[in-house]
Amino acid sequence: MIEIKELEKYYLRGAEKVHALKGISLYIPRGDFISITGPSGTGKTTLLQIIGCLDRPSRGSVSLNGIKIENMTEKELLQIRRQKIGFVFQNFYLINGLSVLDNVLLPTIFARKEKKRKDVLPLLQKVGLLERADHKPNQLSGGEMQRVAIARALINEPEILLADEPTGNLDLDNSERIFELFRFLNSQGLTTIVVTHNPELASKTKRVIKLKDGKVEH
Amino acid sequence: MKFLKLATNNILRHKIRSFLALFGVSISIALTFSILSFNKGFEKNLAKELEGTGLHFMIVSSGCPHEVASLVLHSSVLPKYLDITLIEKLKQYPNLKLISPMLVSQLPNHQKNRIDIIYALDISHLPQLKPFLKIKGTLPSNEKEILIGYEIANHDKLTIGDIVKYGPNQKDFKVSGIIEKTGGQEDAHVYMFLSALQEILNKPQGISAIGIKLSTTEMLEKTIEQISREIPGIQIVTMGQVLNSILNLANSAKILSLSIAIIAITISFLGVMNLILMAIFERTQEIGMMRAIGASKWDIFKIIFNETLLITTGGGLIGILITTIASTTIEHFLRIFMPYMPSGKILVFDYNIAFFCILSSMIIGAMSGLFPAWKATKISPIEAIKG
Repeated sequence: MIEIKELEKYYLRGAEKVHALKGISLYIPRGDFISITGPSGTGKTTLLQIIGCLDRPSRGSVSLNGIKIENMTEKELLQIRRQKIGFVFQNFYLINGLSVLDNVLLPTIFARKEKKRKDVLPLLQKVGLLERADHKPNQLSGGEMQRVAIARALINEPEILLADEPTGNLDLDNSERIFELFRFLNSQGLTTIVVTHNPELASKTKRVIKLKDGKVEH
Repeated sequence: MKFLKLATNNILRHKIRSFLALFGVSISIALTFSILSFNKGFEKNLAKELEGTGLHFMIVSSGCPHEVASLVLHSSVLPKYLDITLIEKLKQYPNLKLISPMLVSQLPNHQKNRIDIIYALDISHLPQLKPFLKIKGTLPSNEKEILIGYEIANHDKLTIGDIVKYGPNQKDFKVSGIIEKTGGQEDAHVYMFLSALQEILNKPQGISAIGIKLSTTEMLEKTIEQISREIPGIQIVTMGQVLNSILNLANSAKILSLSIAIIAITISFLGVMNLILMAIFERTQEIGMMRAIGASKWDIFKIIFNETLLITTGGGLIGILITTIASTTIEHFLRIFMPYMPSGKILVFDYNIAFFCILSSMIIGAMSGLFPAWKATKISPIEAIKG
């Protein structure tokens, strides 16, 4: 479960202080499937970064399964990212030259986990790309690349899946397939948080959190 | 999948760019390896060649020892002559096993419109003075015969029995033997009887130098001191001094060539650093992604550092391979351009030098990788989320 209390985040842009999040409180139980929507610049990505332990709050608190992240060292945040969080990005960020299989295995190098082909194949089957295991990213469509990225996010068996605009570069058909995949993963107990601009896709999640001007819109 | 595979993949993603950087490193290492091998081979072969003569010292007219080195280097004509009667005086010293007078001159070859280097000596001493020579035919048996070097025979298409004319009276000399290729100065020499050259030069008593071999080396210093004291107007130069003189003369070329190698290495490694920095700049978001999915700063450092080490070490290995394969060709060209090179194969593969070159390429590779790798660790994982 994720508990966010009075979360605020400031940035300094030159001499200007930018207030990205202005007191957000949220409770996301284990196994939830939520979407975060809102216009550009409302703090969606900033919120995702803090939940994903990529950044720390300026004020307020964020706890993951009861562990507060605001006072954690960079090393501790890294361990949480390795063990508990899976990331999916808008631009997929697959490494060209590496096969689908090796791309999926990438996080295991950093987590110092010994995983092999046999550990990846069930995941690729889950995302519908079993026959593409030895293909290179440039041989895949956008939708397929994003599914590889999802498999990569799942390889270390995270508790939370965070996706930042995962369908931003996909057509409608592929976008719906990705959301179907999220729904399937969530049905297996994975807490899933998706940032999206698309209200239609957002409506497929269990809850929609709307942000406006750094706050949750009620 | 390991860090090394990731680094290799990153290098292979930009094949042409990586190849050019690798090529630059391999050329600079090939250059360094060649120069170091050459210097070592040069000194070793020179010492061997001088040692091969069996001579312990040389006697020349008073002057500087460089003149003796010059005699060995270019078979140059010494400005002053010794008198042949000196030989009789030297024979009184019981410790002198071999007393070999020699006269070196340059004579015009009117048939070929060329100046030939004539090395005149007691022909019976030649096998002792230059034991490495292999001869087709025979040594000259009288004053009318000559022994010619490989290049002269090859260039003039001379064979055994042919006649060559030298001297103001265009005296005939019959080729009795041809020296097989040595790669050294002997290839361009003409060997003849001492008396024959003295007659041509109209110096019946003149000699350029006397080579001395002792019965026992224990008396070397004492003998030199005694001869110097008792015979005025001469200078005695040991073969060690000759070696040092030649090495001193070659030293400036050595420093220049090493400077060129250092410049080449610096440029190639700056090229590698530039390549890696460019790659990091292009991969900012990818590195951010890796940080987001669990890569520590040290992990990123290792990936980038491995890339640099792979290129520089690979370049170093290829450079050594290039030199090893092309050593005969390189040596051939060096022999054309170098004023003097001792006989025998100079560019010989040396494990210590090869190890030193590989180690250098790794160390300098590590140095050129430090800054880009450190810079890569500064990339924030938030970069990836920004999109």
